Order: sequence, then C-alpha cells, then structure tokens
Amino acid sequence: MKMKNKIFFAAVVMVFTFAGCKVDKEFEGPSLNDLYGQFAIVQGLAVSNYDVNFSENQTTYFTATFSKNVEWQIEVKGLQSGSRKIITGFSNVLDATNATWDGSTTSLPLFKAEECAIELTFAAEADTLRDTLIVLGTKIYEGFLLSDFESGVNPGWDSFVQSGANMSFTVQSSDQSPQGNNYFDIGGTVNWDWLIALIDMPGSAYGAPTYPLSENPNMEYFNVMLHKDPTLSNGIMLFQFREDDNGDGVYTTNVEDMYSIEIQLSENGWSLYSSKYADLQTLINGAPAAAIGNGVHEPHKLLQISALFLANPSSGYAHTQMDYLIFTQGGPLVP
Amino acid sequence: MRLLYYTLLIAALGTAAVDTFAQEQKKFTFTGAARSLFYADDIDLKAEEADTVTVPRLNSGNVMVDLGLNIRPNQNTEILGMVRIRNDYGGFWGSGVTFDIRQLSVKGVIGGVVRYQLGDINYRMSKYTMWNYDQELMTNVPAIFRQQVDVVNYDHFYFDDHSRRQQGAAAECALVFRKYVKELQFHAMTSRVKASDFANVSDRLFSGLNAQLIQSDHLEIGINYANLYDIPGTSRTDFSFRNPVTTFTMKVLATYKGIDLSINAEAGKSRTRYENNVEAPDWNDRFLTAEFSAHHKNSGLKVSANSLFVGSGFRSPGAQTKRIAFDGTPAAFERFTNDQVLRAPVLLDYMRESDFYTLQLQPYLMPFNPVYDNITPYGDATPNRQGVILTLGYEKKDVPVTAALTHYQLQEERGEGTLLPRKFGRNQLNIGADVNQFFNGWKKHCHVTFSMCNDRTTRGGDELVRGVDLKTDVWNAGIELEVLNGFDLMFGIQSLQYEGFDFTAVRDLYSEIYNFVEYKAEGEEQLTSFGARYRFSEKSFISAQFTSSENSSKVDNGISYDINQFMLLFNMKF
Repeated sequence: MKMKNKIFFAAVVMVFTFAGCKVDKEFEGPSLNDLYGQFAIVQGLAVSNYDVNFSENQTTYFTATFSKNVEWQIEVKGLQSGSRKIITGFSNVLDATNATWDGSTTSLPLFKAEECAIELTFAAEADTLRDTLIVLGTKIYEGFLLSDFESGVNPGWDSFVQSGANMSFTVQSSDQSPQGNNYFDIGGTVNWDWLIALIDMPGSAYGAPTYPLSENPNMEYFNVMLHKDPTLSNGIMLFQFREDDNGDGVYTTNVEDMYSIEIQLSENGWSLYSSKYADLQTLINGAPAAAIGNGVHEPHKLLQISALFLANPSSGYAHTQMDYLIFTQGGPLVP
Repeated sequence: MRLLYYTLLIAALGTAAVDTFAQEQKKFTFTGAARSLFYADDIDLKAEEADTVTVPRLNSGNVMVDLGLNIRPNQNTEILGMVRIRNDYGGFWGSGVTFDIRQLSVKGVIGGVVRYQLGDINYRMSKYTMWNYDQELMTNVPAIFRQQVDVVNYDHFYFDDHSRRQQGAAAECALVFRKYVKELQFHAMTSRVKASDFANVSDRLFSGLNAQLIQSDHLEIGINYANLYDIPGTSRTDFSFRNPVTTFTMKVLATYKGIDLSINAEAGKSRTRYENNVEAPDWNDRFLTAEFSAHHKNSGLKVSANSLFVGSGFRSPGAQTKRIAFDGTPAAFERFTNDQVLRAPVLLDYMRESDFYTLQLQPYLMPFNPVYDNITPYGDATPNRQGVILTLGYEKKDVPVTAALTHYQLQEERGEGTLLPRKFGRNQLNIGADVNQFFNGWKKHCHVTFSMCNDRTTRGGDELVRGVDLKTDVWNAGIELEVLNGFDLMFGIQSLQYEGFDFTAVRDLYSEIYNFVEYKAEGEEQLTSFGARYRFSEKSFISAQFTSSENSSKVDNGISYDINQFMLLFNMKF
C-alpha cells in the first residue's frame, strides 16, 4: 500500500473513533415533568418544631414532598394577632433550605406568643394541606428601641396636645397592636392649626445627651409602625431629628441641622415606615430645603426626635396610632 | 527560500476573468430575465356546513422583467446594475407597477492580485459557518413542482450552490507554491445585515474569513471564521450581539484499487452572547463531523458514512437561518370557513408564495414545522444532534440512473425537558432515470423520478410524562415526457402523511427554551399536478399546469379542504 493510502486509512480510523453518542447529564428548558406531569403529594406537610420559641433564636421549618416542581405557598396565621407569614417557592421538596420560618411576619402585626394555623396551597392544584404550631416566644429584633409602649410612655419625653375636640393622646392596649399589646393613640379635631399633638423624645430620656447611634448615617435606620384609619386620609406624621452639631448639649434653632421625615398616611391599617438616616432631608413647610447647620448627617449627634401629628385644620377629625419606634443598624427593620 | 517559489495569483475566478478579458469584450451587455406568472385558484372546503363567507376563487399574477446592464469600463472592472419592473395582471397605467433595484455590484481585480466585489454578493463558506440550506420537502420534488420552487428561489437569490445573498464587500487572493504546498487561498467578506435605527437597534454586520491550504490533489486544510455582530455606538442601546464561529476543515482524497475515497471533516465552536445584557445567556458549544465516502467507478456503487456531533448550544446564524419563516400566513385564502379562521399554510403555499421566505440572517433559531422536518430543521448545523448518516448510492458514467439510499440515526446530545434524549430515524430514497436512454432510437427526453422519506422521532415516556412518537412519510413521483421537439408533458405527485405526538420547544428572543407545547399531529397533504411545457431554448419555456392540493387534518376538529390551482408560467433568462 502506498504511503498516501496508509495515511488515508489512518485518518479514516482516527475520525471515526470519536463517533459515539454521549448524552448530557443536564436537560435543556424547563422540566416536562413539571409542566405536564401528574401532581401528587408524596409526603404530607409536617413541622420540624411544633413548639417554637423565637425569642431563643429557634426556627422551625416545614417539610413536604411532591411528584413534581410546583409553585407553592405556606401561610402561617397567628390565631390571636391575625399576623400572617407567607413563604413561597417553586420546588418539589419543602425543607430547611426553602421553607424555614424565623418568626418574622409578612404583614403587620408581629406574631405574639400564640397558636398559629399553617396552610400549604399550590398555584395550579386544588390540594390544601393544614397543620398548627405554637409560638412560645416571639422574635427579638436587634436595634435601639425608642419605645414599644408596653411600659407606658417614657418619662423623659415631653409632649404637647392642642385643646381641640375629641382629643386622644394616650397608650392603649389591644390584640391588634402591631407589636406586643400596647400602642400610642393620637387623634382629635383642631380647626385652627395643622398641629394636633407632638412628642419630644430627647436623647437624655435614654441616659445620655445624644442617642447612642454610630457615626455612619448609611448604617442607621429609623423605623416606626403607624396605623391609618380606612375612613380618614388627612393625617400626616412628621418626625424631626435635631442634631447637636456644635456639641454644646442644646439644639440652636436656625443654626444646627434638623432633618425630617414627612409621612402622609396612605396605606390602611398598620404599616412599617423605615428610613436610612443618610436619606433624611431638611424640610421647610414640607418642601426640601438647604441644610440649616453643617449639612452633615451625624447620627451620633442626634439630640432629639420629635413626632408631630398634623392635619389640615379644615379637614376635620384626624387620627393615627403609633408603635415600635426603633433604630436598626445595617438595614431597615425586617418584621 | 529558493526551494519555495511562490507566485501571487489571481484566484480561480480571477484567472478565468483574465482569460476572458484577454478576448475582445463589449463594454456594455444586457443580462436579466423575464417572467409571466398567472394563478387561478379554487378552494373546496370539505365540511358538512357550506362555507358561505369565503370567496372560493382567486386569480392573481404578474409580469416582470429583470433588466441588468453589465458595464466593463476597463479590463479589470465590471459593474452590474439590475432593475426589476413588475406589473400585476390588471394593473394598467401605473397601478400595480413597481420598480425595484434588484442588483447592484462592482467587481474587479486590484493589481492583478486581489479579486474584489462590492455591493450585492452571493457568498457561502462551510456547512457550519455560512450555508443556505434548502427549504423543507422541496429538494427532490418532480420537475413540475420544481418550476414553482425555482421561481421563489430566483426571487430570493437562493442558488444551487447554497450561497446567500448579502450586501457588502468580498475579496480573495491566493498564493501558489512550487513545493510542499500547492496553493494557499484567502477569502474575506463583510456584509451589513441590519441597519441601525439610532435608538434600540445597532448596525449588525456579518464577517467571514477563510484560509484554505491546498497541499496537493489529496489534501486540503482550511480554517473558517464567521461572526454576526453589532457595532457598539451605532445606537443608544448598550446591548451588543456577538456570535463568532470558528471551524477547521479537512479534506482528504485518495484512490485505492479503482475506488475514489474521501474524507470530509469539519470541527469548530461557537459563542453567542449579548454584551452588557445580564439577562441574556452566554452560549458556548462545539460541533464535529466527519464523512467518509467511497465510490467504485466501475460498478457505480457509492457508500458514505457521516458521523456528526452538534452541541445543543452551537449557534451559527450564517448556517442556521432558515429559508422559510414558519410563523407566516398564506396570502391566498388567508382566512376560510364561516368563522373566517386563519388557514395554516400547506405545501402548495410554501411552494409558490414569496412572503414566507427570508433574505437576512437571523440571530436566533427560527421556528420550524415538525411535520415537515423534525430531524434536521437547520440542516447539518441543527443543534443538539449526534449520530451517524449512512448512504448507499449508485452513479455510473453513461448509465442514466442515479439512486441513493440514506439512513439517519441521530439523537439529542441534551434532552429537552427531560434527561432522556429524543431519537431520530430517517430513511430516504432518491431515484432518477432517463428512461429514453435505455431504448435505442428513443431520442426524445423522458425522465422519471421517485423519492421517499420516512422520518420518525421517538422518546420513551413514563407514568408521569407522555412519550414522544412522531412519524412523517413523504413520497414523490414524477415524469417529464418529451412528445414533440421541445414539447413536454409532465406529471408529478407528492404525498405527505404525518401522525403522532411531540413536545415542541418554545424559545425566547435568545433561543433559550422556556416552555414546551404539546404537539399532536395527524393528517395528510397531497399535491397532484399535470401539465405541459414548451421549451423555446435551454433558457426559456412556457408551461401550463393544473395542481390539486388535498389537505386534511384529524386533530382538534381539523379542517379538510382542496385547493385547485391552474398556473401559466413563461420564463426566460438572457
């Protein structure tokens, strides 16, 4: 055989040695089983910890197994508070990786120590699985708590209430409190002034001239839970943050920084409002304005917080409820 | 260096051009084509309730002339401009008349070394970089059907060499060596695929490079690079499409004991990405194919075996852009029945309607009809295929019969929606014969053709997910019989039957599968045609034919109907 023919046949052997079908261990596109397979519950709903104490950093998770990946939803409902925790996912297994509950809530109020009903439902299936568990202790949130009103009003606070009609300015107790049992109730009709009532919360109420916050305004978050009556839409809550820029222990009007948050109550029921300290603005009559003092957000120089409840004097009766004022670090409060 | 003597050479066509130029040539010549086409259609709905809404008869047609002027200002330059004048039947005094520029190009030779072409160019590279694959079910059809297919192909610049019409520039040159290497060729082209709208669409170009080393008459090695890409900064969008494909080719030829042997191999990889678009995938994949073939000239027997692997993520717009856009609707009888539902296109529509056909490269995998071709919808470059293709054929000089039997045994490289791959089987038989040559004294032309193709797609199922089994059977038969000098009688039949079930992939803009649709098919289509043709010359003829298209579908209360077509075609090229 000539050399070129030898080379040719060698090439034939070489190119055909690669022939042979290997199938990839992954498939392309979504799972056909998920799209068109029959749904079945292989293992029913179970709870890893039926008596869970979130105050001791315990968690609990839910388990179940299905024949295919489905969109599922777990709803935990506090039977006393009415609080709801929603966990959703798309999988064929519920386990600690995708169905763990740490005591947090999806919609206020926060869970209490109470019995909870669990309901597992599916987006495209009619099945519903149910169970219950008991919360022995509620989740503890890290942060500097201004007040949750469980022990009444801080004696170091000052307040002013207009002498209008149907005035309310007091701590009240209810199962519907977003946290604990108490909240602060503010309301009344003041037809000559926007201001209905105010509370001054000086740093001295917590044992020091200024609030015990860090120097980093991007790390400090102010959080408050406010309630809006479905029938009223005229309430405005204004929070003012006065800084002691020059460190003389007092706030000097028109000299030192005062930042504000103006909250127009819009969502019915309880809502959580959070704001990063660095995002606080100088407001003059509700409009952003140039800084009054050095213009530097200095949370460690925060001297006093004031909460003012306002309403248009011609709008009649105004009302809100307030609870759980807390500074958190690194991010807003995640209830 | 003394041993290596090389000469710059004008590439093959360049050489031909020099030879041609050496002769006395006219500075101006006319070229082009003329055509008259008329259709008379009649639809017959096979339903219990008579269709009282749809107009049952349609007439349409046009006359057109492609008038080209070839200008040769000097020996090294040729300019071609072609205008198309088209007039619909019934369009008088300007109504229905259109004037279009069909072709503009300049070509020539620079310094006797580099051959170039600007403007409209027909270009092809390898089967995995730039290749215009035939449309489905229209390759081995009888001549009577071929007449209509040829009209569509001519209008869309689909040529037998599988080149694709582009607008841009191309150049080529070659080096000829005295020893060790016979020739080294270089080819390059760039075309503009899409123009910027200065907002969200950037200029999109296609570029191709090829270097071909011809070592001898026995060995050729090549490298190809093709890229469809956006030019950043030509619009306000930050997204930039990139789809480079790099391949290596090898061709080995030898003769052993009277048998012509050859190996054609190509391997390469592609990468597809949208720069600055985090939602878009970044595809990387490869392909590898090698075909061994042998032809024993004395006996006429041919065998070939082709082993191929094309990864599921292999994307090559130059090779994977389909001729037919299967998401269109027919112009004739677009809606029918009393409910005026949209009519799904059938073979007759694809055979004659230009609007289904594409001209530009597409950056995504275009939809296809699983009934027409579920195995190689993107030709040899169909992604996610691996296996072998075996062919046994017969072709002998002076014997007026050709035959080829081909078997495909392929499967997916990566399962779609499941780890189980779909398996594909195809058996294809093509026979052609000039019958008159078997009989002494029968001088007039008589050509018969027969072809059949059985496709099957399967995948096992389980108790949770249904299995796949889709079957398509096609057969064609045709005859051209010359009864008087230049006067032919023609007959052709094409039958398509399909039945089964598959899951068809639904892809997003990036060709990623995001859903599967259950696809049930059961029905048939049959085209039967007879007619006569008179050939004035090799380049002109007039043909009259009657075609019946019978269509029935038994899935989801499918509608059965016939379309009867009379066609009169005059065709001339000059």
